[in-house]
Amino acid sequence: MTTTVLTGLFYVLAACSVLLALAVVTTRRILRAAVYLMGVLLMSAGFFLLLGAEFLAGVQILVYVGGIVVLLVFAVMLTRSVELLEEEPGIGRKLLAYVVAAGFLIMNVALLATTEFRVLREGALPTNNTAALGRKLLDYGPQGYALPFEVLSILLLAAMIGGIVIARKTGRVEVTGKLEQPGQADADRFGAQTTTIQGS
Amino acid sequence: MSFSEIFAQAPGAIHWLILSSLLFSIGIYGILTRRNAVGILMSTELLLNSASLNFVVFNKFVAPASVDGQIMSLFVIAVAAAEVVVGMAIFVALFKYRKTVDVTQMNLMRN
Repeated sequence: MTTTVLTGLFYVLAACSVLLALAVVTTRRILRAAVYLMGVLLMSAGFFLLLGAEFLAGVQILVYVGGIVVLLVFAVMLTRSVELLEEEPGIGRKLLAYVVAAGFLIMNVALLATTEFRVLREGALPTNNTAALGRKLLDYGPQGYALPFEVLSILLLAAMIGGIVIARKTGRVEVTGKLEQPGQADADRFGAQTTTIQGS
Repeated sequence: MSFSEIFAQAPGAIHWLILSSLLFSIGIYGILTRRNAVGILMSTELLLNSASLNFVVFNKFVAPASVDGQIMSLFVIAVAAAEVVVGMAIFVALFKYRKTVDVTQMNLMRN
């Protein structure tokens, strides 16, 4: 009975996910695409739960839905893409995209159908998913991921600093000229003060 | 196979993999047809998401005793976050100079 429910849930989530993904790539309003993308990512969190990866489902919602989609909405707003309706892609471009996507899908499904996936490492899923992940990430033995974890934190720091540097306001000539204006006024006042001092 | 028989058995590895390749090819279609650069970034997110789903699927069906695939999926999510930050910064800087993020007009290096 539980299997039936879970399988039904899988098919419902899969159908929703594929439909929302199609909406992401075909809608002409870019802000709606961001909202549909949020739906796809929420469905993926559901898939992770079905696969027994609870921690990953939580991270998916926290980072993807809470962070990345918000950043994408910011990007849409800051580039003023909200007002303009994206024009329909040309027929040649559409045809090329259809051929490439369908070719990839057919090739992939044919490959997967002829491959048999054997279980390499037998055993049940660890009961405490989060604890197992944490031990693995901080393990610096040959089976652990301590070094990639640290490299990843450096990557995130570099991306943050790079993002700030690239997107900040670069000083233009007229802007610096305006900024120097009060400084000159200060110098004048100072000069005036010195003359008064000299006068007295 | 009748309709009830399909629901009686849990989805195997092949079902999950076909689902993720479906999502991946939809992402490819988006990358090839979108004109707005932010739209292309969204399609890239679809690709990354289906790849991370694949990692978890293989974790469950090929090596269920360990959590290595889930850790790879975590790394994919973190790299996607870094990618979106840098991409958004580039598009904002580009918009300041060119007043557009239409990729069909990005032909500065053509001649």
